[in-house]
Amino acid sequence: MKRLITIIVCIGIALNVLADDVVFSASAPKQAIVGKPFQMSFTLNHQGTNLRAPQFTDFDVLSGPYSSTSSSTSFINGQRTSRFEQTFTYTLMAQRAGTFTIGPATIKVNGKEVQSNGVRIEVLPEDKTPQNTGNSGQNANRQQSNLGGELFVRTIVSKTKVHEQEAVALTYRLYFANVEGVQPTQNIQLPEFTGFLKQELEQENNQAELEHYNGRNYQAIDLIKYVLFPQHSGDIVIEPASFEFITQVRVQQRVRSIFDDFFDSYTNVPRSAKAPAVTIHVESLPKGKPAGFSGGVGSFTLTPSVSKTEMSVNDAFTYKLTIAGSGNMKLLKNPAIDWPEGFEAYDPQVNNNYSITSSGFKGSKTIEYPVIVRNAGEYTVPAVHFSYFDTKENSYKTLSTPEYTIHVARGANTVTPTDNEQLPTVTTYTQKEDIKQLGSDIRYIDVNGNWQKKKSKPFIEYGSAEYWLCYLLPLGIATLLLIVLRKRIKENADRTRVRYKHANKVAQKRLKAAAAALKANDKDAFYAEIERAAWTYLSDRLSIPTADLNKENITSILTQKHVSEQRIAEVMNVLSTAEFARYAPSTDHAMEDLYKATTELINNLEDEKL
Amino acid sequence: MKKILLLLLAVSCWLFVSAQNDFELANTAYAEGRYQEASAMYENLLMEQQNATLYYNNGNAYFKQGELAQAILNYERALRLEPNHKDAKFNLAFAQTKITDNIVEQDFFLSVWAKSIRDLMSENTWTILSILLFIGCLAGILGFLLSREPKARKASFHAAWIALLFCIVTGLNARSVHQRETLRDEAIITQGIVNAKSSPDNSGTDLFTLHEGTKVTIRETLSGWVNVKVGQNEGWIPSKDLEKI
Repeated sequence: MKRLITIIVCIGIALNVLADDVVFSASAPKQAIVGKPFQMSFTLNHQGTNLRAPQFTDFDVLSGPYSSTSSSTSFINGQRTSRFEQTFTYTLMAQRAGTFTIGPATIKVNGKEVQSNGVRIEVLPEDKTPQNTGNSGQNANRQQSNLGGELFVRTIVSKTKVHEQEAVALTYRLYFANVEGVQPTQNIQLPEFTGFLKQELEQENNQAELEHYNGRNYQAIDLIKYVLFPQHSGDIVIEPASFEFITQVRVQQRVRSIFDDFFDSYTNVPRSAKAPAVTIHVESLPKGKPAGFSGGVGSFTLTPSVSKTEMSVNDAFTYKLTIAGSGNMKLLKNPAIDWPEGFEAYDPQVNNNYSITSSGFKGSKTIEYPVIVRNAGEYTVPAVHFSYFDTKENSYKTLSTPEYTIHVARGANTVTPTDNEQLPTVTTYTQKEDIKQLGSDIRYIDVNGNWQKKKSKPFIEYGSAEYWLCYLLPLGIATLLLIVLRKRIKENADRTRVRYKHANKVAQKRLKAAAAALKANDKDAFYAEIERAAWTYLSDRLSIPTADLNKENITSILTQKHVSEQRIAEVMNVLSTAEFARYAPSTDHAMEDLYKATTELINNLEDEKL
Repeated sequence: MKKILLLLLAVSCWLFVSAQNDFELANTAYAEGRYQEASAMYENLLMEQQNATLYYNNGNAYFKQGELAQAILNYERALRLEPNHKDAKFNLAFAQTKITDNIVEQDFFLSVWAKSIRDLMSENTWTILSILLFIGCLAGILGFLLSREPKARKASFHAAWIALLFCIVTGLNARSVHQRETLRDEAIITQGIVNAKSSPDNSGTDLFTLHEGTKVTIRETLSGWVNVKVGQNEGWIPSKDLEKI
């Protein structure tokens, strides 16, 4: 039993080893020339049998297959590594120019069939001109020297007619034939590339390969590759570039020895080559740029995303735009977003994930806008428009994102004053001035309030008929009363007004009578008239009956009426003079004085407000 | 029969108790911090009748939930019914410090006085006072015209015009109170942010921005849009974004 297990394990291991390690690969040069033999080999890292070669159509098998084996064993740090290789080599010759595929070969390893890979071979046509005649005159680029074969540099541009900002790939490619040991040097003079944004392309796997150019086959190798973005329109000339190389020339020695054939001696010979100037015709972008033109030229896609659409007040979310495609990625402007009110958008974070290729920058650019929402509600983030010039379709294109609806709830982040302690970040974004701090919290609910109290119904609705009736009714009663009592009112009004208004007239009448008495020298009559004139005038003016007036109360009455003390003294003077003069001897002079004083007094009192 | 009577009695008792309980239950919910529940219960009670105490408590419950606009709306409604509700005034002022818009309506000091005098009495009292003063004024006029005594005439004349003056003042107060209670031309912004437009449609130019909790005066209503005045600004906002006090 144990044995059986051991065997199974052993077989398993062996099979594993086999399955893992068998490598059978075909290899051939990438290029071949018609009529020139080349070698193709199949390599196996095990002992194999029964090789079945593919059909070499379009190729002549000159010889083969030759089988050779090699093995090596090495010990590294006590670990044994052994390698074994079996190679089958064919010598082939292409029959005609073109690109051909040689199918896979199969071989049996330990009874199992293993297949190799297929190989693509580009077959170049034969040289038209004899190889060793230089200066054919066909191409000015060629630099022929006596020192060796041909060597020249071409300026290859991917396009000569482009739009502004459209990428142009420029390659300086070295061609040489019958030149040995070509080594580029640092002695390179490149043009300024004015009018272009220049980006050097990293070159991978830069190996010389055969290329058929102008009827000849050359070894060709890329020296420098640039991607150029024209910055303005017009014909832009790229000036010539010059390169220097070191080549090896076999030196023929005078003394020939038998070793000469084995050890040729070489000398390094510098050679220079000039890459010709190139003119690039740059067209300006057509008119009618869209409003939100981003400056992008190429072809792009726009993918928006929002980190969340449901959130609470003061939460942050990210609005992400991904622009992918190829073109002048480096010069793209970030699309402007018209944020709704209450959104606090911060400077976007731009993540560039593109690399330069011969057709421009390729990859993606992500623009992340961090946004904080400060107010609750439902908001719509408007569509973002991104316009660019599509070089493939020769027209402007606008990409739009959908609108996003953001729902912001009044969440835990809203500060309720009581929860201050629970919330570590007190964020009341009420930026105001002139706020009085009224307290730390609202007042408590009214627990004992009369919550069933109904709104008191108005006794009389304002503006209703009843309301106006309440005014009109008393007004009506009053009017009625006035009409009924109008006679008395009229009498009242007359009496007061007449007495007041005619006080002066009456007094003047009396004074006239007094004047007549003065002329007649009727002393009694004169004083009587003066006294009566003074008393009636005062009575009329004060609206007090004459009977109620006497010398005792007149002073206090006049004082109440704010009559000046001087005037009161005048009044008293007139009254007492008139009273006493009647019974005292007096002169005309005294009578005349009193008359004047009385007239004056009445005139003065007329101006007073009583 | 007895059974039925007992049952009826029980039912009526329960009804009374349940109504009493609703208010107390809501208060208990508030006390225990279940503000959402409390405000739902207050809202239920308010459906049956408008009451300042209920509005005030409801405002508190909303404030505790962070619903500033609803809190302010309820305080304002409480004050509409009881303009001298001290706690509602205090809490309203407190809530207003939390809103974004700083609209200081700097009323002329006379109008502030006038308002505070107006709110001293109810519409009823003002109306009755005004009518009594009017009658007093008429009596004064009659006294002036009918009396013979100059003193009495003078006194009644002065009484008449003073009474007339106060009659007008009290009458205007009654009118003002009436308008405060019935006109309802003020509203509170309930949406977080509202842009006031120049015309009542979405294509109008944005004139200014209002935030939730701001009090506006309604001037006109037109098919889902409301013309509001805030301070010196006037504009149209959708009627769904505000609620009348």
